Amino acid sequence: MSEGDDPALRKTITDLLASGLETKVEPFPKTEKEFIEIAAELRTLDPKDIKGKLVLSGFMDHPYGPESWRCMECIYYLAHRKWCDLPELAVPVEPDWYCRLWRM
Amino acid sequence: MTNLLWLQGGACSGNTMSFLNAEEPSVCDLVTDFGINVLWHPSLGMELGDNLQKMLRTLVSGKLSLDVFVFEGTVIRAPDGTGEWNRFAGRPMKDWVQELAQVANYTVAIGDCASWGGIPATAPNPTESVGLQFLKRDHGGFLGKNYRSKADLPVINVPGCPAHPDWITQIIVAIATGRGAELSLDDLQRPKTFFSSFTQTGCTRNMHFAYKVSATEFGQRKGCLFYDLGCRGPMTHSPCNRILWNRQSSKTRAGMPCLGCTEPEFPFFDLAPGTVFKTQTLMGIPNALPAGIDRKGYIKLMATAKATAPRWAEDDIFVV
Repeated sequence: MSEGDDPALRKTITDLLASGLETKVEPFPKTEKEFIEIAAELRTLDPKDIKGKLVLSGFMDHPYGPESWRCMECIYYLAHRKWCDLPELAVPVEPDWYCRLWRM
Repeated sequence: MTNLLWLQGGACSGNTMSFLNAEEPSVCDLVTDFGINVLWHPSLGMELGDNLQKMLRTLVSGKLSLDVFVFEGTVIRAPDGTGEWNRFAGRPMKDWVQELAQVANYTVAIGDCASWGGIPATAPNPTESVGLQFLKRDHGGFLGKNYRSKADLPVINVPGCPAHPDWITQIIVAIATGRGAELSLDDLQRPKTFFSSFTQTGCTRNMHFAYKVSATEFGQRKGCLFYDLGCRGPMTHSPCNRILWNRQSSKTRAGMPCLGCTEPEFPFFDLAPGTVFKTQTLMGIPNALPAGIDRKGYIKLMATAKATAPRWAEDDIFVV
């Protein structure tokens, strides 16, 4: 696997999460209705507001939940680019990270 | 000669447009090469008023043979079961349908609305619409579940919104050439030759489906439309990627999710906000999985596929 896209931004996000940034990891959007609401809220942010994106989408730098879900299994994750392809996020990620917009 | 009558109930004329766009054979070919005598059609019929009524009565009486009775659109029963909201040739259309179906050698429902009610029958169904022999997935419809045409076949359902021109003409040609009895129908009375495979069969995005790479916006050439954009290709029976539209493309090839329009439940979820063009999930897992796959198998398959996806699967490989 490659180092992934945008190493500078990747480091910024890694540092933010490692510093204990509190994000809205709960509640998980149970259905599309809640998912769409979060995505709509994300679209109101400045695309460069990385911290805002991380907080709103509930980012964590480790797997989460009873089944240890992680980016690696998410449909938006591009494994070779190590990238979240959800248009509202579009950020570099690591396979063992997680956010509440996780979908399989 | 094969006498064909085409009537239209609660419809948008989409299937008529599709039929008139047929190319191989064309509507003209049906007449000149296959001996089809189009007695009347909403866009082609010459008779009007008394002459049309007279022709319809002659068919009902049996004096003129009705070989193929094609119906497009729903049977409208409103208000209060009278059918008065859809009058045709001097009486409710539903009364003509009832009598003509009894004398027809073959009865063919063209499009979703005639097959199972389609969009007009979506709740709250103000027109009390129903398909010829189904209402959504419930067998029965307007003619009743025991209905058989004189050729001893139930209504032949050719669904779609609209049905593809070739699906329509090939069924008509099969009947006109004496092969009607060979038509094999599935449990929803659709010709198996068209409706045994899935919309996904032949989709150019199958590689992205296999490696679990999702399209996230309409029109993207990269990615599968099933995971995020509500594509119903993996669980919809149709040949849309085998018998191409306009001989060159399909919805999914063009980046538009399959809406599942050949299935009785179309339009799915009664068009509730947020249900169209968005894959419905529960706790992150799709509610409707590809046909034949259970939730556990899906999770295993997806995790493995994602982990083994090659680099190229993440790129747009259809470079102009």
